[in-house]
Amino acid sequence: MSRVVITGLGVVSPVGNGQESFWAGLCAGRSGIGPITLFDVSSFPVRIGGQVYLGDMQRRAAQIPELGQERDRKVQLGLVAAEEALANACVTTQALERASLHVGVSLEVFFLQDLTGAAHSPNMQILARNALAQAHSCSLQTPLDRLAERIGDRYGVFGGRWTNCSACAAGAQAIGEAFHMLREGQCEMALAGAADSMLNPLGLGGFSLLRILSMENDNPQQACRPFDASREGTVLSEGAAFVVLERLEHATARHATIYAEMLGYASSMDAFRVSDPEPAGHGAALCMAGAIRDAGLTPAGIDCISAHATGTPKNDIAETAAIQQVLGERAYQIPVHAIKSMTGHMIAASGAAEAVAAAMTICKGTIPPTTNLQTPDPLCDLDYVPGTARPFAGRTVLSNSFGFGGQNATLIFGRYDR
Amino acid sequence: MRNVVITGLGLVTPLGLSCAEVVAAVEAGQTAVAKPAGFDAEPFACRVCATVPEFDVASCVPDAKTLRLMNRDALLAVAAARRAIQDAGLIVGRHHSADRVGLFGATGLAGIPLEEVRPLIQHSADAAGQFDLQRFGQAALRRVRPVLTFKILANMPMCFVSIFESIRGENGIYTPWEGQGAQAIVAGIRAIQAGRADCALVGGCDVKTHLLGFLALQQHGLFRSWAEAGVGPVPAEGAIFLVLEEEHGARQREAKIYARIGGWGLCTARPGEPRADTYSRLLSPLRPAGAGAVVSAADGDPQIAGQESLALRKAGLDCSRSVWPKRSTGNLFAAAAALQVAVAAHIVQVGGSSTKVLANCLGYGSQQAAFVLEAA
Repeated sequence: MSRVVITGLGVVSPVGNGQESFWAGLCAGRSGIGPITLFDVSSFPVRIGGQVYLGDMQRRAAQIPELGQERDRKVQLGLVAAEEALANACVTTQALERASLHVGVSLEVFFLQDLTGAAHSPNMQILARNALAQAHSCSLQTPLDRLAERIGDRYGVFGGRWTNCSACAAGAQAIGEAFHMLREGQCEMALAGAADSMLNPLGLGGFSLLRILSMENDNPQQACRPFDASREGTVLSEGAAFVVLERLEHATARHATIYAEMLGYASSMDAFRVSDPEPAGHGAALCMAGAIRDAGLTPAGIDCISAHATGTPKNDIAETAAIQQVLGERAYQIPVHAIKSMTGHMIAASGAAEAVAAAMTICKGTIPPTTNLQTPDPLCDLDYVPGTARPFAGRTVLSNSFGFGGQNATLIFGRYDR
Repeated sequence: MRNVVITGLGLVTPLGLSCAEVVAAVEAGQTAVAKPAGFDAEPFACRVCATVPEFDVASCVPDAKTLRLMNRDALLAVAAARRAIQDAGLIVGRHHSADRVGLFGATGLAGIPLEEVRPLIQHSADAAGQFDLQRFGQAALRRVRPVLTFKILANMPMCFVSIFESIRGENGIYTPWEGQGAQAIVAGIRAIQAGRADCALVGGCDVKTHLLGFLALQQHGLFRSWAEAGVGPVPAEGAIFLVLEEEHGARQREAKIYARIGGWGLCTARPGEPRADTYSRLLSPLRPAGAGAVVSAADGDPQIAGQESLALRKAGLDCSRSVWPKRSTGNLFAAAAALQVAVAAHIVQVGGSSTKVLANCLGYGSQQAAFVLEAA
């Protein structure tokens, strides 16, 4: 089986766009959470989130014309992140043609405003006619494969386009599946990642109803507090991240810059409840243990963990328990950090952004901190890298992503040695 | 490379709940196509659909509280998954450890009935019918049930399957068309071949028989041929799952084996290139020479039928027997690939030791696939 390396990184996030800005923001402990300004949220119970600021959209649209043709924000964010990853990897059109494309997304955006014109009609048919009247220019819902199709067509990627919709695990699963395909010789190169934005009326409203979001509207930068005893919930955010993965021999033949090696991937399901993680963390532990096995490592070979760590009361305890089960005493010897304390929860994109952070942790030798952790939950008793970034001399980072519904994904990255 | 065999089929389709029933109906030219029961399709270019007859879905759901969280896609999925596992005689935890059983499925465009989001729409509109965010946040949100999100999230049907069937192994969920349904099957095959799973439940579910489904299909141009020629794909609903197992393990537990996966291929349509050319390149290396039958992808859209027919000719395939499931069941979109392969598996099992069957998955979106099944 071939070794697989990461040769390109691209990210747009609430803490910074572009890998260097993203990385600088994370290491400085900069929060990307603030009042939502994308639309009027004054009547919503939750009014904070992690917004991406794309800057001069006209300039960006000149570079990526598809941006101007999209209503769905996650497609826009994904196009920008993919562009950066491919540029960063210096990939040729020829190499991309046979590459495999793996995109993680979560749920469709419904443009309810398209239907309100006939909202007071007792007749549903009028609603339908009203929506159809607008069909020539836009559609009520964007199919979830839209981003893969946009990226694939723009860059000429014809080695398969996979759209993974495993909720918050989708980004990690997209990268993991690409890794397995490369390792097993199904392709030479892959572009893998995810994009998401729930910062729209239905997304924000729907997640508010589920009561998993922090309501600390007056305290946005401290609202997401993974592993802290006072944590109240996660903070919805948006973003996109992509990595270029290659078989080692392909990367070295074209003298590509190698950020890190990808070592292992596994997925599992809690098979418990759609609304809650399995409290003892057995499903998550199964996934982590599988990834360690897939990487040909033992628990002693794991040097750092990038936790899923949403800041919800149940999730952080279950993940801590899972880490303890899998790593035993090693769990207390290694750093476990949570970038969602700064980025918020990018849903499908979070696993991909955390993969970029893991690769940079390895190549830059620094672990971003877990911010807002002041009073650790007694049930969360690991070393969570509170407050400030820390030097990292280890060789491997394990990155967890756990999805709503009980899907789990774990990726393992390692320092690249010739 | 480990061989992969199909040991269980679970179908919930407009034409029936068993593969034999469905194939018999398809071959007899029966059809489940009818006018939609829940709404008047007059505004649409297509005015018919194919729905699943009433059946006891509640028996697959443990309690009423869980039932309230489930969309119709999820209900059909759990029913089909249960039937596949029962058909395989599989006991998860006994024949295979739960963490060695994978789950790979496809779901379609979010299938939420418009009736469920209607309160949101009505209470978000001002007197002039304009969308008003203040109203949305203050009045509309209070009128929808918190479980709405569970019904929109594309992964939920498969998560319910994992919970009800105690499946904990490798997984992946793909969306939204037939090609992604084929990818789910391929992901299951690969997981078994690579030794990451010993068994996998693969398939898909979709519901396109409600008003919002029709809106989506018309808006995305899938009713084009209805407008142009008065024929086209019939939106349908259903779920189909297959149990895949590593052949040696299946034989050890004396499982009924429908067919072995003899080959498969995936391809991506290229803008500007005739699909027949792309698809014939996919078919050629599969070497389905001697295929006794082809399960055709034709769904009533003349363009797809023409592309498939041309691709088969270009690849030098002349099958003595063709069956057209979609013409009878309607197009199940995300679940269509699993139906194609299930029908092929049934034909192989009935046909005997020399049978090879080609299952074509040539649908909407850029992803296309084909599977060759052979007697095991």
